[in-house]
Amino acid sequence: MRTLLTAGLMLAATLSPAWAQEGRLVLYTSQPNTDAQQTADAFMAKYPGITVEWVRDGTPKIMAKFRAEAEAGTPLADVLLIADVVTMEGLKAEGLLLNFPEADTTGLDASLYDEDGAYFSTKLITTGIVYNTAATMVPTSWLDLTKPEAKDQLAMPSPLTSGAALIHTVTLTDNLAEGWDYYTALAANGAQASGGNGDVLTAVAGGEKLYGMIVDFLPIREAAKGAPVAFVFPTEGVSAVTEPAAILASAPNADNAKLFIDFLISEEGQQLASSQGYIPARDGIDLPAGYPARADIKLLPYDAAAALANETANKERFGEIFGQ
Amino acid sequence: MRAAWLLPAVLTLCAVGLIAVLPTGRLVLTALFADGQFDASLLLSRLARGATQRAIFNTLDTALFGALLALLIGAPFAFLVAATDMPLRRLQGFLLILPLMIAPQVMALAWMHLLGPSSALLGAIGLAPPPGTANPLLGRNGIILLFGVQHAPIVFITLRAGLVLLPRDYVEAARAAGMGPVRVVTGVVLPLLWPYLIAAKALAFVSGVGNFGIPALLGMPENFLTLATLIYQQLSSNGPSVLPQVAGLSLLICLIAIAGIAAQSLALRRVRFALTRGAPMRFSLGPLRWPVAAAGLLLLTAVLILPAAALLATSLVPAYGVPLSLTTLTLDNYVEVLLRQSSTVRAFVNSSYLSLLAAAILAMLAVPLALGLNRLPRRVSRMAHGTLELPYALPGIVLAIACILLFLRPLPVLGSLYATPWIILVAYLMRFAALALKPVEAALDQLAPELGEAAAAAGAGPLRRLLTITAPLAAPAAFAGALLVFMSAFNELTVSALLWSSRNETIGVILFSLEESGLSPQASAVAIVTLLVVVALLAALDRLGRMLPAGVLPWR
Repeated sequence: MRTLLTAGLMLAATLSPAWAQEGRLVLYTSQPNTDAQQTADAFMAKYPGITVEWVRDGTPKIMAKFRAEAEAGTPLADVLLIADVVTMEGLKAEGLLLNFPEADTTGLDASLYDEDGAYFSTKLITTGIVYNTAATMVPTSWLDLTKPEAKDQLAMPSPLTSGAALIHTVTLTDNLAEGWDYYTALAANGAQASGGNGDVLTAVAGGEKLYGMIVDFLPIREAAKGAPVAFVFPTEGVSAVTEPAAILASAPNADNAKLFIDFLISEEGQQLASSQGYIPARDGIDLPAGYPARADIKLLPYDAAAALANETANKERFGEIFGQ
Repeated sequence: MRAAWLLPAVLTLCAVGLIAVLPTGRLVLTALFADGQFDASLLLSRLARGATQRAIFNTLDTALFGALLALLIGAPFAFLVAATDMPLRRLQGFLLILPLMIAPQVMALAWMHLLGPSSALLGAIGLAPPPGTANPLLGRNGIILLFGVQHAPIVFITLRAGLVLLPRDYVEAARAAGMGPVRVVTGVVLPLLWPYLIAAKALAFVSGVGNFGIPALLGMPENFLTLATLIYQQLSSNGPSVLPQVAGLSLLICLIAIAGIAAQSLALRRVRFALTRGAPMRFSLGPLRWPVAAAGLLLLTAVLILPAAALLATSLVPAYGVPLSLTTLTLDNYVEVLLRQSSTVRAFVNSSYLSLLAAAILAMLAVPLALGLNRLPRRVSRMAHGTLELPYALPGIVLAIACILLFLRPLPVLGSLYATPWIILVAYLMRFAALALKPVEAALDQLAPELGEAAAAAGAGPLRRLLTITAPLAAPAAFAGALLVFMSAFNELTVSALLWSSRNETIGVILFSLEESGLSPQASAVAIVTLLVVVALLAALDRLGRMLPAGVLPWR
């Protein structure tokens, strides 16, 4: 009898992973609504017992929501899938993340996940320049945006709304010789900094602005659908965020969250990211149509530790320059 | 006898306290007190900031000029519909009321798609602005224009109420004395209507101060912030740590709005002329009847139908910026938001559910509450009335902040309501109580007191009288009030923008989120669906209107 039971248990163990597959998973993400739904659908197709519920907002806003719920004593979120590593580092330092060192990181460069397993990068999202195809100047350099042709015609996301925009600001001010003067010049040229990347896309695709600073996948994807936009990787290089995912220490469904993390960085999850128009984080997955070869994309470095330490100062400086 | 009077009075005052005094009081407490000590320094330091001062100026500026424009649109229509023989009066009145029932964010979205460089409608006739032209609606002027359109119905309703009561005798006396129609209007009608004009302007001003959807879509992309959007931006980007500061800002909007409300009630208190019964006055437009009607319809078409058509056009293209043609036309956006995206589907369910619950609860509360208020001593009753109006008249964002303050920390028995749908429901109940009460009070006023007296003489107790006489007679009005509550809650964004949480999204929130992610065509599809729901409900309400006492439906 006992052997039968043991055999049964062993059989059950081989058929399913060690943790439960039933129940719910609550995802807080800054992905656009359509992508969030596709990711949830693909995961649910693989694990039919789990229902994924997702909430979308810009990274700073989704963090504010998370903190308000924590204060109310009703944590809802299991997994955060947000723009940048800097925010994750801050959360990790506060002890708000659950370490998941057992995650299957095959094919993921060691620089793309936390050594303690607190967060895992899921893709590469660069910020470059979008222009409306009706524009006369085709920009090739960041400095082109300070030219008279771009006077009053540039839209850019605000670091107050977008996590990627904050990293982008830090990266450009670190790498361009002009530093913060570059942003002062943009402001003097009538650049409009507000909202998130979606707002920039709407402004440029709708022809209300001719140029924009924007994350790569939005204009590349919309151009394929026929929208009058094109994306440029400027010659100086582009900034990049890696859209990391992490399990929260307060996660009500931590076991399901682990399945979700593994799914995001698995070959299947990465193929999905590529099919959605993102540069995958994992090696050996093809880049989506519309991108140059990966080796040809020049990534600009930035100091993550400094970015975390100076987050508030950087936001305030940006706000001052653009009169916010 | 004394006890019988006391119990309903106490219950009524308790209800008023819960609905209106509690949230307002909590807000004042957080804004002005720190650790139990009076401390206005936080509020004052906020006031000293440039961003706050700009937002105050923008709020006053847009609300004042928006109200002026609303007056310019609403007043002529009120006069034409209420006091002339213009053909198609009822249709025009009905159309003019529509903006009040349409969500401001839907209105803003529709107008943006109508006038931007990628406007499918203007493009088709070659009038679209060239690429690189800023959308003319973004920023101050667009906000003022849409405040004017959105709040013209308020002016219309207020002025019409005055026009209907205008003593006909004065006009006839003036005509008999040989005054021409123009002089009758400027010399007799206008001075008599003056209090109503001031009241209408003040109401439109207060609505502008509290509006969130329009400045959110038209102002935030350009960093043109009003107090409502400034509060939203601060709180949604920084989280609960800035609650004391935003409570101070909310108090500021409160004060501005209360000034407007006070102006309105002062104006109406000066209405002195005696009410006359009988047929309301009618001016004859003579040969101008049809041209005037045509001009009115043309204006209403431009203001309502064209933006809706632009919205429809955007909802049918695969990506924003793609011109609409037979080859690009697609229903994918509708499939995506109605069938595929779980959040949108859930939002439709949530909004319907929350609005339905709020409407049902308030409809049931309205009759006893109206009766209870009637029984109170006159002065107390008037004060209770004014207090009940507060949560509806004050900007929704203020109520949302108050609710977060009240319900964020766990309560003894209930636990924390934050991050549950109940916080939104509670906010709806507070906000729309006044809306549900109005039609019921109008109906009860017209109820013959003899019925109750006869029943009392026959030995029926108060509860029995309520259940068998008053409630059935007031039921249609309560139902009309419930429908108004449903529509308002179904459309709202201001309250839920700050109160929503995972699984508790409302339609307003989803529409805003889709637009912010750069998914304009999908946002437009959601907007079109809500428009269809509202128009269907309004048509149903209009049908029902035939069975209702006069004055219950604002456009009849």
